[in-house]
Amino acid sequence: MRFKDRSLPYFMLLPMIAIMLGLVYYPIAMTFTYSTRNMILTKPKEAGFIGFKNYFKLLQDPDVGKAFFNSLYILVLVIVLTIIIGLLFALLLKRDTKIKGALTAIAIIPWALPPIVNGVMWRWVFHPSYGIINKILALQGSMDEPIMWLTEKWLVLSIVALVAAWRSIPLACVTFLATLQSIPDHLYESACIDGCNKFAEFRRITLPLLRPAMGIILTTTSISAINVFDEIVTLSGFGNATKTVMVETYMRSFKFLNFGEGSALIYLAMIATSIFGIFYARSVYKEVEYL
Amino acid sequence: MRNSKKGTLSITLYILFVILFLLFTLGPIAWSFSLSITPASDLSPESPILPENPTGENFKELLSSKNQQGGIFLKGLRNSLIAGLLSILIGIPIAILTAYPLARMKFKGRQLVKNLLLITMVIPVFATIIPLFRIFTLFNLIDNMVGLVIIYVTSFLPLSVWLITSYFETLPRELEEAAIVDGCGRFMVLLKIIIPVSYPVIFAATLIVFLTTWNQYLIPLILAPSYATKPIAVVVSEFVTKTSINYGLMNAGGILAVIPPAILAVVFRKFLVKGMVSGATKG
Repeated sequence: MRFKDRSLPYFMLLPMIAIMLGLVYYPIAMTFTYSTRNMILTKPKEAGFIGFKNYFKLLQDPDVGKAFFNSLYILVLVIVLTIIIGLLFALLLKRDTKIKGALTAIAIIPWALPPIVNGVMWRWVFHPSYGIINKILALQGSMDEPIMWLTEKWLVLSIVALVAAWRSIPLACVTFLATLQSIPDHLYESACIDGCNKFAEFRRITLPLLRPAMGIILTTTSISAINVFDEIVTLSGFGNATKTVMVETYMRSFKFLNFGEGSALIYLAMIATSIFGIFYARSVYKEVEYL
Repeated sequence: MRNSKKGTLSITLYILFVILFLLFTLGPIAWSFSLSITPASDLSPESPILPENPTGENFKELLSSKNQQGGIFLKGLRNSLIAGLLSILIGIPIAILTAYPLARMKFKGRQLVKNLLLITMVIPVFATIIPLFRIFTLFNLIDNMVGLVIIYVTSFLPLSVWLITSYFETLPRELEEAAIVDGCGRFMVLLKIIIPVSYPVIFAATLIVFLTTWNQYLIPLILAPSYATKPIAVVVSEFVTKTSINYGLMNAGGILAVIPPAILAVVFRKFLVKGMVSGATKG
């Protein structure tokens, strides 16, 4: 009986441990060994251990540098858009009105949709001849030539970031909303005794209390922004100029079948993001007391 | 007097803000829908914003197995449904079995297991998919639905375990203690007492698992290349890259892929919002 009780937790964990070990941890380790090998599936004869040569080669490749820069650009833009729009929407949903419930339901829709299909739908918003934006601009007469939204590099990357933010805004919004609703009214009331104005109230009371929520949202948004892949595929394809680290990894691994370089590149990406992650986890997480 | 003026001003602002919110959140879906019901002959850069002769032709074509596009599309739809159900059937029991000891039992290595599980949430798919592709090729698992679903399960397991664990932790201990005194085993306690009272979180986790599976793209792109297992999301994305297809049909495909998750989100928003918030904030 005692023995059974002690081993029971491990028995219960067994299915999880089995699949995570076999299909997550083991592959992660394998990816590392691939990264130290010359491993091009179309050239099996040249295979062999080459140390960190794949890494050095990637670090000197200007395409890789560009891909990292594109990823960083998307990351920053997604975070900024998600925080600002998410907070604005949360403030909108906080207000008690008859349509509040319906608005909350609508607010979470983008979160639930397939990112790849979001890309397809937004493509038609920005399409040069069939897109709604150009149509409206043309109707207003404020446009002589159709704007090529999806051809200019920075414009495409910005649109990719907007579409990626579109699906991370709901989570930010409901997290902010939950925090806003948990702020006790007496905090605002006591502020009002000293004479209040809405903006000062927001800056002095609401914003500092939103800090923990901000940290969580930054973390979840960053994870999804670093991994943006689907939206790029549908908005700009696998084209060279707008490649991010993930697209570059996909191309090297599954188009050119260079598993060695693909593996090394994803390891570089993980190293970069963990350094970055540790750096900002420290600056963001701070305890807040609610009085 | 001043007050009422201020009131109308802020109501106008509120309505304006709601309109902007709706345009941003639903606009792209509405526009895609509008294109999907525009007949191909009416589609031109000069055509008006709202379709003049709306038609359901594109939807009919996709939903009938008689023609080629419809056949491919329906197969994708079926594959996504099967994958969704399978991931629930495999994933949720494993998540519950993992969550209970993590929340309620004392054993060596508990914190380690928790941390190891959590850390996989930040690991990109590419860190595992390259060897997985080789393993799948080696064992002939490419295009195998169960193999594919187990990979999905590993990708959402940390989040669902986290959700369920944090809910279990909030349950009062007296609930189980009485049963344990009566000689009930831990496993029976989980089955007969904990699971029935935890249905809101288990339901939220089930919904999230279904949605995550429905939304997969990268994993099936690599591990499920044939139409026999390809999910709807990949099928829809291929409509875009194949230029021969008409724009209305492409949008109709997107709309059909979006309807099931959108309906689930709206109908079960209370469960989902709770799940989203506690998934994001606990720990």
